Amino acid sequence: MIRYIARRLLLAVPTLAGIVVIVFLLLHLAPGSPVTAAGGESGRRISGRAAEEMRRLYGLDRPLPERFGKWILRVVRLDLGESFVDRRRVSDRILEALPYTLTLNGLALLLTLLIAIPLGVEAGGRPESAFDRISGAALFALYSTPSFWAALLLQTLFSVKLRWLPLYGVASDPEPSGLAGFADRISHLALPVVCLTYGSLAFYARMVRAGVAEARNADYVLAARARGLSRREALWKHAFRNALLPLVTLLGLVLPGLLSGSVIIERIFAWPGLGRLYFDSILSRDYPVVLALSLVGAVATLAVTLAADVAYAVADPRVRDGTAE
Amino acid sequence: MKKRGFLLLVLLLAACRGEEPKAAVSPVSTRPAAPTPEPVLGYIDESGQGTPAEGGVLHRRLVGEPGTLNAVLQTTLPEQQVLQYVSRNLLDFDSRLRLAPGLAESYEASPDGKEVRLTLRAGAVWEDGTPVTARDAVFTIRRIVDPAVPSTLFKSLFENLESIEALDERSFVAKFREPYAFHAMAFVLPILPEKRYAGKTFTKVRENREPLANGPYRLVSWKAQDSIVLERNPKYFGPPGHFERILFRILPENSVAYRALVAGDLDETIIEESLKERAAHDPAYAECCRTVEFYNLDYNYIAINNRSPFFSDPRVRRAMTMLLDRPGIVRNIFRNSARIISGPWAPDSPAYDPSVLPLPFDPPGAAKLLAEAGWRDTNGNGTLDREGREFDFELLVSAGSNVGRQIDETFAAELAKAGVKANVRALEWASFVERIDSGRFEAASLAWSASDPNPDPFPYWHSSQFPPRGLNSGFYGNPEADSLMEQARREMQEEERVRLYHRLHRIFRDDAPAVFVSNSSAKYAFRKDVAGLVTTPIGFTGIWPGPAGWWKRPAAPAPVEAR
Repeated sequence: MIRYIARRLLLAVPTLAGIVVIVFLLLHLAPGSPVTAAGGESGRRISGRAAEEMRRLYGLDRPLPERFGKWILRVVRLDLGESFVDRRRVSDRILEALPYTLTLNGLALLLTLLIAIPLGVEAGGRPESAFDRISGAALFALYSTPSFWAALLLQTLFSVKLRWLPLYGVASDPEPSGLAGFADRISHLALPVVCLTYGSLAFYARMVRAGVAEARNADYVLAARARGLSRREALWKHAFRNALLPLVTLLGLVLPGLLSGSVIIERIFAWPGLGRLYFDSILSRDYPVVLALSLVGAVATLAVTLAADVAYAVADPRVRDGTAE
Repeated sequence: MKKRGFLLLVLLLAACRGEEPKAAVSPVSTRPAAPTPEPVLGYIDESGQGTPAEGGVLHRRLVGEPGTLNAVLQTTLPEQQVLQYVSRNLLDFDSRLRLAPGLAESYEASPDGKEVRLTLRAGAVWEDGTPVTARDAVFTIRRIVDPAVPSTLFKSLFENLESIEALDERSFVAKFREPYAFHAMAFVLPILPEKRYAGKTFTKVRENREPLANGPYRLVSWKAQDSIVLERNPKYFGPPGHFERILFRILPENSVAYRALVAGDLDETIIEESLKERAAHDPAYAECCRTVEFYNLDYNYIAINNRSPFFSDPRVRRAMTMLLDRPGIVRNIFRNSARIISGPWAPDSPAYDPSVLPLPFDPPGAAKLLAEAGWRDTNGNGTLDREGREFDFELLVSAGSNVGRQIDETFAAELAKAGVKANVRALEWASFVERIDSGRFEAASLAWSASDPNPDPFPYWHSSQFPPRGLNSGFYGNPEADSLMEQARREMQEEERVRLYHRLHRIFRDDAPAVFVSNSSAKYAFRKDVAGLVTTPIGFTGIWPGPAGWWKRPAAPAPVEAR
C-alpha cells in the first residue's frame, strides 16, 4: 500500500513539472507584456524609454530560461513572488480573494446538491413519468440559459424593481453588525449563488436519476420492497445509496473547481473573488499572479486525483496490485 | 431635419434588436442629401448654481481595482479618480483649462522656455500636520526620472529635465535642456511626502496603499475588488469638500452600474451609446437621473503604416480617408453625437483649424487617386494590384472596442467595393498594443484619449519618434511638418503657436498620415440630486475642483413642479 502511494506521489511530480513549464511558456510566449498592458485600455501609451525601464524593472529583459529558473527557485521555497500590478505579495492577493470564492462556490455546490439529489431520486424512481419528463425539460432549459443574462434579469427584478436584494458586492456600506450583518451578507450572496446553481442542477440531477433508475429494479431494491419498505424508503435507502458512489467520485473531481471563480458572475456581481483576480491578471499580464493561480489550481487537482486514486486502492486490492482489468 | 434624424434612429433601433453592437454596422451607406445635423453639446458649469449643501455620502464607481494609490505610480483612470481627492497637484487646470494654483500658489516660466519656478502655498500640509515643502516636490520629481521607478504617466514630461533644486522651504526651480512651450503643464503633478519614502524601496512603501493625504479627503479603507472609502481630511488647507465621505464601488460592468444608478446605489457612472439610448426610453431613469454628454478632446482614427508598400504614397492615404464613410459612421455608429475631424486633434482643441475641412466621402475620387498611384486590377480578380502585389492588408482592432470594430467593418466594406481587401482582425489589448507600438502593422483602428489639453503632436507624428523609441507608430515623416512641429513646441507665444498648428493641420489633412475619423461625445449618467457639475474638453476628472466640488441637493419635501 505504501509503495503504491509512493509511486503515485512520484508520478505526480513530472505531471506537476509539465503543467508548470507549459503554463510558464504559454504565458511568456503569448503576445503582449506587462508593459504593453500597462494602464489597460484607458491608459496612456508609454514612450520607448519608459517601456525599456519597465521591462528592466520586471526583469523582462532577461532571457526566458533565467526568468523561469528564478521563478522556480522561489516557488520551491514557497514564495510566489510579487504582483507586477500592485507590488504586493502574490500570496496575500490570493488569500484575500480565496474566502470569497470558496464561500460563493461552496454554497452554490451545496444548494445544487440539495435541489438536484431529491429531483434526481424522484425522477429516477419513476423513469418516463410526467414528473421525470417535466423536470428533465425544465432542467435542460435552465442548463441552456446563459448566466450573464439570467444575472442581469434577476438583478433588474429583485434589486431594481422589488428592491428585495442588493445588486452587487459582498456587504452593505456601512456594514451592520451582529445578526443583521449576517443577514446582510446572506442577502448579498443570494443572487450570485442562484446564478451559479441553476445551471449545474441538470448535470447532477440527471446523474442521480440515471443511477437510481438503474438500481430501481435491482434485486436488493425489490427485496427491500418485499420486506415491506415503502417505495420512498427503498429508493432513498437502497437505490440512492448505490447511485451515490459515482456522484462522490464526481464531486472529488469538482472540488478543485471551487478554487476557480466564475469570471462572469464575479464581474456582474462585483464579487471580489479569484475569478476576477485571474481574469484581470491575465489582461494586465501580471505574470506572477497568473502563474501562482495556475499552480494552485494544478496542485489542488493533482492532490484530489491522488486522494481518489488512494481511496480506490484502499477499496479495491486489484488497483494497488496493478491487476485491475 | 431633426425629425428625419429621429426616424432613422428608430429604424436602426428596430433593426438591431437582439444583437445591439454588431447590428449598428450598416456599411451600406445611403448618402444623405443634406449634411447630418450636429447636436450642440455645450460644456456645463453648475458650480455657482444654488447653495452647496454639506454632508452626506457620494457614491461613485470605479471600473477596476486600482493597482496603487501612490500618486506618481498611477497609470489608470480608477487610480486617478481616487487620488484626485487625496493628492492635490502642484498646479491644476481650471474649468477653462488654464493653469491654476494647486499646492503651488504661483509659477513662473522663463521666457526662453527652459526654466519653471514654483512657489508652494504657505498653508499646505500633509494629513499628519507637517508642511508640504519644496523638498517634497524635488524628491518626487527626482523619483519620477529615476530609472528604477515605473512612473510611466509622468516620466515623459520630465524626459529632458536638466536639474531640479529647492531654493528654500517653499520654492523650487526646474531646469530643462530644451525649451518647450508646455513645460509648465508637467507640474499638474501630485507630490509625495519625502519623509515617508526616503531610503525605502519606492514601490514597496506602505503609503503606496495608504497614501498620506494633502487634499480635501483621506483614505479610510480599501477592500480589494470591492470598495474604497474616503472621508474629509480635517487638516486640508483649502475649503473642505461638501461630502462627509466618498464611497467608491469597484464595479466592472456598465450594465450593472446602470441598474445600480437607477436603484440609487450609485450617484454617477460612465455610459456608452447603447445605455444612453436605453436611458432615453426608461421612465425609472427619467425620474431619478440625467444624462450628461459633452465633447472632449478624444477622437477615433485608423492608424496606417506610412512605410508599408501600400501606404507610402500620400495619394493612396488620401484615398483611404475618402473611402471611409465618415458621415455614415457619425450617423450610424455614433447616432449623430460625433464630429468628423480632419487632423490629429478634436475640434475643441485650439490647435484644430476649423477652416481645414475634412476630405469628402468620395469613392469615385478615391478610385482616381488609387489609379494615379498605380493601383489597377490588371489580373481581373477584383482586387487592385501594382507591380505584382495585391492590395490586401490586415486591419487590426482591439477586441474590447466595439466602436473600433464597427469602424473597421464599415471601412472594410467600402474598401471592398473599391477593389481593396482589408481583413479585419481583432486582437486582445496587450497584444494589440504590442503590434502598434512596435510599428508591426498595416492599419489599425485606435482611439486617442487626451487627459490634458497639451496639443503637441511631436511625440506622435515627428519623424524622430519612430518605434521602437517613440510613439510615431505609423512612421509618418514629412520634413515640412517636422519643422513646424519643432517650431511650435518652442514657440512661447500662444497666438503664434496656434498659427503654426493651423498650418500643420492643413498638411496633416492633405498628407493623411492616418485616417482621422471623428470626435465623439463622452456620456455620463448622474443622479439628479448631484449638483455642482463642471464639464470641460478634458472631462471632469482632470480639472480642479472637478468632482471634489460636487454636492448633493437635499431631497425636496415634495416634488413641487410648478405648471
